[in-house]
Amino acid sequence: MPNSNIDMISLIKSKFGDKVQIQLGKLGAATITVNNGLHRDVLQSMIEADEKTGITAITGLDLGANIGVYYHVHTSNVFVTIKAEVPKENPKIQTIVDLHPGAAFHELEVADLLGVVFEGHPTLGHFVLSENWPQGVYPLRKDVKASEVKLVPTPPSEEIKLPENERLVKIIIGPQHPALLEPEKFAVTVDGEIVTKVEPRIGYVHRGIEKATESRTYLQDVYLVERICGICNSIHACGFVEAVEKILKTEVPPRAKYLRVVALELNRLHSHLLTLGHAGLEIGYETLFQYFWRDREPIMDLIELTSGNRVYSSLMTIGGVRRDIKETDVPKIKATLKDLRGKLPFYRQIYENEPTLRLRMKNVGVLKREDALKLSVVGPVARGSGVDIDVRKDEPYEAYGEIPFKEIVYTTGDTWARMNVRMDEVEESINIIEYAVDHLPSGPFRIDTPRSVPAGEAVNRVEAPRGELFYYVKSNGTDMPDRVKVRTPTFANIPSFLKTAIGESIADVPANFVSLDPCFSCTDR
Amino acid sequence: MIDFTLIFRILVFPGFTFILLLTLFCDWMERKIEARLQNRVGPMVAGPGGILQPLADFIKLLTKEDITPREAKKTVFKFAPLVAFTIMVFAFCFIPVDGASVLSVNGFSGDLIVILAFATIANFLLFLAGWASCNPYGTIGSARVLTQFLGYDIPLFLIALTPAFIAGSLSIATIASSQVIPFILLAPWAFVLFIITMQAELEKDPFDVPHAESELVGGLETEYTGAKLAFLHLTRDVQVVFGSALVVELFLGGPYGPVFFGASWFWYTLWFVLKLLVVVTITEYITCVFARFRIDQVLSGNWRILLPAALLSLMLTVALVTWVYPLVV
Repeated sequence: MPNSNIDMISLIKSKFGDKVQIQLGKLGAATITVNNGLHRDVLQSMIEADEKTGITAITGLDLGANIGVYYHVHTSNVFVTIKAEVPKENPKIQTIVDLHPGAAFHELEVADLLGVVFEGHPTLGHFVLSENWPQGVYPLRKDVKASEVKLVPTPPSEEIKLPENERLVKIIIGPQHPALLEPEKFAVTVDGEIVTKVEPRIGYVHRGIEKATESRTYLQDVYLVERICGICNSIHACGFVEAVEKILKTEVPPRAKYLRVVALELNRLHSHLLTLGHAGLEIGYETLFQYFWRDREPIMDLIELTSGNRVYSSLMTIGGVRRDIKETDVPKIKATLKDLRGKLPFYRQIYENEPTLRLRMKNVGVLKREDALKLSVVGPVARGSGVDIDVRKDEPYEAYGEIPFKEIVYTTGDTWARMNVRMDEVEESINIIEYAVDHLPSGPFRIDTPRSVPAGEAVNRVEAPRGELFYYVKSNGTDMPDRVKVRTPTFANIPSFLKTAIGESIADVPANFVSLDPCFSCTDR
Repeated sequence: MIDFTLIFRILVFPGFTFILLLTLFCDWMERKIEARLQNRVGPMVAGPGGILQPLADFIKLLTKEDITPREAKKTVFKFAPLVAFTIMVFAFCFIPVDGASVLSVNGFSGDLIVILAFATIANFLLFLAGWASCNPYGTIGSARVLTQFLGYDIPLFLIALTPAFIAGSLSIATIASSQVIPFILLAPWAFVLFIITMQAELEKDPFDVPHAESELVGGLETEYTGAKLAFLHLTRDVQVVFGSALVVELFLGGPYGPVFFGASWFWYTLWFVLKLLVVVTITEYITCVFARFRIDQVLSGNWRILLPAALLSLMLTVALVTWVYPLVV
């Protein structure tokens, strides 16, 4: 029986001894530096010791002669980073997909952007880069300049291989499709109405933001990372500034912490309301969609009231926030939230009792708990499958440690459970904001920080509306970062869709997919 | 000798022009009701309250480029929407609007069967239209149309027989005129079943699986553009009005109502339109408060629930007509 209270670090120490170097308190609870090849053994012993072990992200970075491959691993109580390096001439490392299927997408991305070959990975190929990207140019390597990349002519599109079985039909969902609001492609093979295979292709709107951060100052980067996602923009900025503050060893004033929480929870509120309504649209329930989006509007107004902007709040900055909440605005915030709280029972009752809605959501896209753990899913998707992970509880950041709130977990793992997690979190968010504005500490909301950041590195995890958002920042002593790695929640959640869609009706694909709250703008950074 | 009255009746009132205007008006009504139920305003720019919006949409589509895909079966692709529209309008002509149907004063006995058959043919033509477009979405969409209307035609026919039994006639005009007490009061269960079946037959929510846009893009309309699309839309709208008109004729006493002064045809038309709007409001309300079923749920709902219910309804009606109603009426 895996024990969740296990001391992972002493276990590694006792098992591998001198073969690994352990630095405590760096990049999470500890950084374990291993030789190429040993990373598999370390990871395997961690997975055996704790069932909640999962891959949060794999960061690839150019270290000069070598390419670093950092495995960021979460377990039930600690977060560690396993560092391995491969030589640039022969960048080969063994895959970990067979140990942990959830690592598949992360490996594909590192392979595409840094040219690391993961030996044994089943489907290596272009994953984020476009088809007309030149061979052998890996954009995240330092010697590649964006202006010097010469695109090659687009190769003729592959001949569509007709499935051998005549009963099978291939339906292409995307890049342009009414069910997807953003460009992404899923090739779905159906047998009659039953889905037998889903092949994803992402990267249609990849903007290379990770590379772009390296040629801008930290302050500019705050606004750049905010543009990764329009819906959860504050949380992106927060994830980045917290990582930088960790390198700077800056403590943000308490008032700023509370103000950040208010901004983050407003983000979560409007994001959840958006998804709850959008799910209605996907199952042909337009009225629900219109109602939710109507009630989302006042929240957008609150974001404008507190930050000055309706969508991109641009509130976070290194060392605090840029705007204070006026004392006179507090009653307005509370009134709006009270109004929304009053409407929640109605919506909850629709999700509970509406027969057609239950028919379309109950037992659709069931993700079992063990699959959720194996695929390292995050956020409401994991919590709908009975996995109690929430960074706000597990590793409290900002003021979340001081604010009481419930962690919502449903165990059925279907679309209905995932939507209900969000429904309940809307209420929790309202509670959090009300508590935060009631208990706003006095004092400054911003402190000055130096423009240049000393050399160092930091990882940071925050809970975005869609799940855990991961930032890795490496600085080199100048005013521009050396490497910024972003792992967005949707990137971690898409594999679960590939799993749950199989064996279900094609008509359930949209409802199932929207229950992940997919954001491709996030996925394609 | 040319009968000018007949030509006027066919082309203007209550024939083609009237049907077209009624259809556009009902389309506007539907959109407005749906919008209000969803907390929106709906069309509001073209004409007072946006009443000209359906006409504007229709004209706009007529001006758009008309594309026929290379792979499509050209003849069927081009003519199916037009023929479907014609058949629907023709079927409408048998419905007594101002107290008499368009073609002959009292229709003929058995015209109920004829118009139900016409409605089926029109649906089949829509299926052909999608099938001929040779597009995967169009093909799947039209396959769904076919499975759905084949299933729901049977209960529709069976439930339509309930008023026919009570009236003792298969002529729509006779059924309508014999409703001293509207049949909705004599057979309310049949009315409810008929509305549900009609909703499925017209492919409206919660039965709108053939054009579930989140799965099938445009369904059978995917490849259609310009004038052909305009006629597809118009056919759908005429179908909706036709279905509601059928409900009016079979259950709500048709166009008949009190005549206060002046010409009876004016009052009959007024009653007909008002009753029609009531039915449109009911169906639109159903559309708004439900989510879409899945195709397998639609079909199992038909064969497991609606078909047995329709048979039961028929049995109940026969029993009541034989033993109970003679005592009441």
